[in-house]
Amino acid sequence: MNILTLLIFTPILFGVIVAVLPSAWRGSFKYITLLATLVQLGLSVWIYCNFKTGAGFGGVNHESQFQFVQKLPWIDLDLGTMGKMQIDYFVGIDGLSIALLVMTSLILVIAALASWEIKSNLKGFFVLFLILDMAVIGVFCSLDFFLFYIFYELMLLPLYFLIGMWGGARREYAAIKFFLYTLFGSVFMLLVMVGLYLSVKDPATGNHTFNMVQMMNPANYEPGSVFSALSHQTIFGFPARAVGFVVLFIAFAIKVPVVPLHTWLPDAHVEAPTPVSIILAGILLKVGGYGIIRVCISIFPDIASADAYWLGLLGVISILYGAMNALAQKDLKRMIAYSSVSHMGFVLLGIASQTAEGISGAVMQMVSHGFLSTMLFFLAGVVYNRVHDRGIGHFRGLASIMPQYAAFVMIAFFASLGLPGFSAFIGEAFSLMGAFKSHSVNGLLPYWMAVCGSVGILLGAAYFLWTLQRMFFGQVNLKGGSVWQTALTDLNFHEKITLVPLALLVLVLGLMPSLVFDKVNDSVLALVQFLQFK
Amino acid sequence: MKTITLEEFLNDIDTLTIHFTLAAVLLPLLAFIINFSLPGRLHKLAGWVSTIAILLSCIISASVFSKVWNSHHVHQQMLWFTIGDTKVYAGVLLNNLSVLMLLLVNFIALPVHIYSTAYMKDDEGYNRYFAYLSFFCFSMLALVVADNLVLFYTFWELVGFSSYLLIGFWFTRDSAVQANKKAFIMNRVGDIGLLTAIIILFAQFHTFDISQLFADKGVISQSVIQGGTWIAPLGNMPAVWQYIACGGLFLAVAAKSAQFPLHTWLPDAMEGPTSISALIHAATMVAAGVFLLGRVYPLFNGAELTILALIGCFTAFMAATIALTQNDLKRILAYSTISQLGFMIMAMGIGAYASSLFHLATHAFFKCLLFLVAGIVIHQMAHIKKDNSLDIDPQNILTMGGLRKKLPLTFIAAIIGGLALVGLPLTSGYLSKDGILIQAFEWSDGKSGFYKIIPITAVLTTWLTAFYVARLILKVFFGELKVLSDHPGIQIHIGDGGWRYKLPLILLAVCCLFPLFSVSPLLYEQAWLFQGLTLTIRAVHANIYHTLIPVSVNILSVLVIYGAYMMYVKRKGNIFLQSGFLYRLSAGEWYFDRIYNSVIVKPILFLSTAAFWIDRTIIDGFINALADIGIKIAKLCAWIDHHIIDGFLNLLVVIVEAVGNFARRFQGGKVQYYLFSMLVIVLLLFILKTVF
Repeated sequence: MNILTLLIFTPILFGVIVAVLPSAWRGSFKYITLLATLVQLGLSVWIYCNFKTGAGFGGVNHESQFQFVQKLPWIDLDLGTMGKMQIDYFVGIDGLSIALLVMTSLILVIAALASWEIKSNLKGFFVLFLILDMAVIGVFCSLDFFLFYIFYELMLLPLYFLIGMWGGARREYAAIKFFLYTLFGSVFMLLVMVGLYLSVKDPATGNHTFNMVQMMNPANYEPGSVFSALSHQTIFGFPARAVGFVVLFIAFAIKVPVVPLHTWLPDAHVEAPTPVSIILAGILLKVGGYGIIRVCISIFPDIASADAYWLGLLGVISILYGAMNALAQKDLKRMIAYSSVSHMGFVLLGIASQTAEGISGAVMQMVSHGFLSTMLFFLAGVVYNRVHDRGIGHFRGLASIMPQYAAFVMIAFFASLGLPGFSAFIGEAFSLMGAFKSHSVNGLLPYWMAVCGSVGILLGAAYFLWTLQRMFFGQVNLKGGSVWQTALTDLNFHEKITLVPLALLVLVLGLMPSLVFDKVNDSVLALVQFLQFK
Repeated sequence: MKTITLEEFLNDIDTLTIHFTLAAVLLPLLAFIINFSLPGRLHKLAGWVSTIAILLSCIISASVFSKVWNSHHVHQQMLWFTIGDTKVYAGVLLNNLSVLMLLLVNFIALPVHIYSTAYMKDDEGYNRYFAYLSFFCFSMLALVVADNLVLFYTFWELVGFSSYLLIGFWFTRDSAVQANKKAFIMNRVGDIGLLTAIIILFAQFHTFDISQLFADKGVISQSVIQGGTWIAPLGNMPAVWQYIACGGLFLAVAAKSAQFPLHTWLPDAMEGPTSISALIHAATMVAAGVFLLGRVYPLFNGAELTILALIGCFTAFMAATIALTQNDLKRILAYSTISQLGFMIMAMGIGAYASSLFHLATHAFFKCLLFLVAGIVIHQMAHIKKDNSLDIDPQNILTMGGLRKKLPLTFIAAIIGGLALVGLPLTSGYLSKDGILIQAFEWSDGKSGFYKIIPITAVLTTWLTAFYVARLILKVFFGELKVLSDHPGIQIHIGDGGWRYKLPLILLAVCCLFPLFSVSPLLYEQAWLFQGLTLTIRAVHANIYHTLIPVSVNILSVLVIYGAYMMYVKRKGNIFLQSGFLYRLSAGEWYFDRIYNSVIVKPILFLSTAAFWIDRTIIDGFINALADIGIKIAKLCAWIDHHIIDGFLNLLVVIVEAVGNFARRFQGGKVQYYLFSMLVIVLLLFILKTVF
């Protein structure tokens, strides 16, 4: 049994168990789910330890360099004169996926722990949770576009229900907004996928294929096909490849999210229950970043270089605009949501630079933001669960009544604002370095973008420290008076064991970024080389 | 028998030195970890854990100092991580500058630790205080030995972070948390500058290594600016980026060392415990900016150095004028710190590299001493306030006076520190400050008359310094105790305090005198510290400045002090108006806070509100409009479905039904109707046939 397949489908196995158990046993569901995520974590740690590095394991556009590969014919349909339809079950990982894969498994454990707060309709919740779990892992492992798309779409469905059924007051609005936004992106992605399928032929079998790795090789494109670089086809008067790139980019940019496609995020976060917020911010956004690297710029490297300026610009706008918005927020969760927009802007900026520093920095930033946003949303959930309020102005002097909570908030805030020693600093600094270096290396981004991006770090300090000052310091003054004061107890054991590993992880990654970079480096170098000699 | 070559032997010694250095740096970190995990009940232990750690660190760094000073550079590193093709190393770089700072930081931190064990003994956050304090020492020590810019940046920010923690130590006080937020954000402006500079240097030179970049034959010395391009061995970029790199570094220096325009956080930082002000906001952290300048000095070219000198000089003057009218004891000292840091920056700008760092060292001692003195005074005033339930501000010098009899040792320490700050002979301050003044005059000699403004302003600032120091000491220690004459009959039980107060004062006071630095009390060129840091050995200029300036400056300083004495103690004439524009400008601290608030803070907040408005109204409005249009179209479709498509079908049904109903009537089953209808049809047929 291939270990990736095992990793992907473990949750569904447990999901079935949860589904068939009688509702009277509902108390056990959370433990079953936690067990599922722990098994997954164990598997992915094993994969991480056994992941080979070296120039021969770069991956990206070399199918043979992927690891833990499983490739099975899935849908083989003889279409007569139209040839044969070839869809494979094709999974495998390289350095770009491994870091995100391990991060995802870990965040899912945390999300499972955060699900303790769910009190209603437990069976439905945990079954949907486990389906979502399978889908996100599947996305990071798939190398066949069709399979990728199925997992990608499969994430939407459970999330819609998880937000719509277990969310806050405006949950229906948030759920439908989220659903339509992402569906809008992915529907057009389907068209591009079909276009690519019809353009690319597997050199071995001569059939059209959904194999993403083969889509990266210009030689596999049929002459005269719609996405062939040589045929210069147009769609609505625009070059076909540019249209394909833009459509795919919009689909993933909605996930990242890139300004101005981001407004689903604050609403979805504010309404979603804590575990769903964690999965949304921790994992879903990274699917966007991963998709841009794996699909957009790898399949359309020529367009990616031509449009790098615009990608970088969008990145800088996201950084600054997100930070500005975060500064204006009065709701803690909304503030964190906008800070995510700002932090993910660094990812886009780093990717756009197409330098080794920039892309490694972007991957690091994604991993780091995965852990940090998880921590931040969990912390926001702590206070919300106690008093059902998140207004920043409704609290004051929390550090006096909840000292341990305040300590974790400070760790999370300072790590997020890029204090060196924590992982976000490495991610942000190297994204910026790549962006700045880009002009001398490949001439894609102008120098000023990195400088403007760094202003985001300054604004980050402003909104986090302002929140700290308003909510946590000063004399105790709560909107709910003494009722709140008794309700606001310090962290319990369950919350502490959730937060401690996260805090340690961001610290360890900040001190030893090689834990990520060592695994990622070969693939990043391969990708940079591939982009240079496209 | 194994023989080892001399080189290996030296390497072994170097490795040992590096291990020593690491121990010196990591001991405070260990203390931090221990204190952080100590349960709250083990109260007194925390202080001693930190103090012992810093004592050991101090001893170790003294031995490191003795090995490296004036001998050779020690540099060892190991691979930290690889990113792309770039290898980032972490290592220790020891040269004269770093070992001097290593020793200095430890040597200042030690008395402050001892003092703190007494000063903070009744505070609830005793453990937390020492944990933070040790963390600060760790960051600062690591900063001075870091060998590459990424590491340097790391500790640069950690120093700022620990300062944030300590300024806001009493976090239930609003003013304290406002102050620490302000300090961190203003420092962040500098951090961004530093980060930008690092990024530019990395893109241009492909390395972070400080010795590769800034050494005598480093890559920076090989780069030139020609025709608008900055040419380096490995590539080039437009010259403007060299200016931006220098600008970024200047911002970093200005933020940490509280120079105009980023100085306003330092006076507010006095919200922290006074012992913290002594260590961090007077002696060590604020000197980090000057230290950074010392590290990156080769990057700056002539014009940039001149700008530096002008800003330093302006800051020194501006801060001194503000110090003249402040009434808060710690605020006066804070502005004097800004002023002295201005001197150091100015010295860097005029090429007096060694003098600048020399002044850094001497200033650390006397400013730390003065703050510890201030701590004792404030503590005693707070005692008086508490014992008698008075409503006074224990930091206000207007409520003090006559304390020389009550606090004799503190008084002597204050006098020594004050004289060193003014720079009178026999003190260390004289050696370093007069060096700067003399070199400022020498520097301006070769230039146009405009540049004379720098040495003249500097000398003027020295006299202002003499005045505010005199005012401070006279108001606090001479005359009558003001609070007693205002509230006759109050109980006063105050004194110098125990050995943990006295020992640090004595230690530091001794270090403020000349013998520690030079055998000659009058010639700064003979100070070992100055000689060890001088970049280029110059022939000693025995020109007129070397005698004229010290003599004239000091005589006038003494006169100024005498004038202040007459004014404040003997109450003979007050030459200053308590109103008028200049007074208000000084008392209002040149209105920087107000200007920043309305020019920067408010517009940014407005912009953020505007951004959120755009998000809600324009982007979401557009999305919601799309949704509305979708719903409208759907409703239209439903209407069409219902009324047109279904309507057409329904119409068909109605027609068929009507026809059926009509036809049904012919099928009634009555023979008469059938016959009648047959007759009608036949008749019709006939009629039609006849007509057509």
